[in-house]
Amino acid sequence: MDFKDLNPILHSQLRLAIMSLLISVKEAEFNFLKEKTNATAGNLSVQISKLKEAGYIDIIKQFQNNYPQTICKITPVGIEAFDTYVNALRTYIIP
Amino acid sequence: MENNQNEMTHSESMALIASMINKAKNRFSENGLLYLWWGWLIFVCCVVQFIAIYFFKENVWYVWLSTWAMAIFQIFLIKKKRSRQMVKTYTEELNAFVWLDFFICLMLLIIIISFSGSHQLIYPILLVVYGMPVFLSGVILKFKPLIFGSICCWAFSIIALFIKPQFQLLLVAVAVLIAWIVPGYLLRSKYKHSSH
Repeated sequence: MDFKDLNPILHSQLRLAIMSLLISVKEAEFNFLKEKTNATAGNLSVQISKLKEAGYIDIIKQFQNNYPQTICKITPVGIEAFDTYVNALRTYIIP
Repeated sequence: MENNQNEMTHSESMALIASMINKAKNRFSENGLLYLWWGWLIFVCCVVQFIAIYFFKENVWYVWLSTWAMAIFQIFLIKKKRSRQMVKTYTEELNAFVWLDFFICLMLLIIIISFSGSHQLIYPILLVVYGMPVFLSGVILKFKPLIFGSICCWAFSIIALFIKPQFQLLLVAVAVLIAWIVPGYLLRSKYKHSSH
């Protein structure tokens, strides 16, 4: 069987969790990701920045009722990368 | 959750993906409130108009103006809800467009019927139009009571052709009860159950 290399950006627990959440929704606030992943704000912030640098997510910073709000959204590049990652994983798991 | 890149096996990766997708998917965001408010309002309008026509020979068409007050209140409510929302799903977006489409079609049909003078057709056509968003919402939310309600609306639209206009009002009230009010209470209970 042909084993494909796993994308190192996605093959990390927190970044994969973030991408899996974002692939299921249109957009999500930073606090939603923090709540669902049980990550610390600092760690989440670092991993989100890495995903943004890779072009996998968009980050929108805005104010809502005078409070800062960070919204994350998966990009078409991110969807493609996630799809490729899942297909590569299948080659390892499915006999 | 930590960022342990090397410790994650392939099976763990797959399990993590499935678990996160489920966490996002299991949020049931439809609380049923709008179905209940609109349902009860239209139910009361139909019953009041029926009583006025049948017992007092008066057409109190202006009771329907209350729907405009409700529409304005709804805009406020949606704005408030959006400001608190931590996540936007594709389901919610699609559902919102279905109801916007319903509102536009409803307004256009009321204008067309008013101009054409075919007032006897207003309730059968309203029932057809009521069924459309209820059916689509039922499919989108995978909620069978809404699908059942929409089928009742469409069946009632045919029945309405054979009964007098004032009794058609009662038929609309029953349709709203089955298609909006009952599913509204069921959605509310499902929402409360899923958020605890």
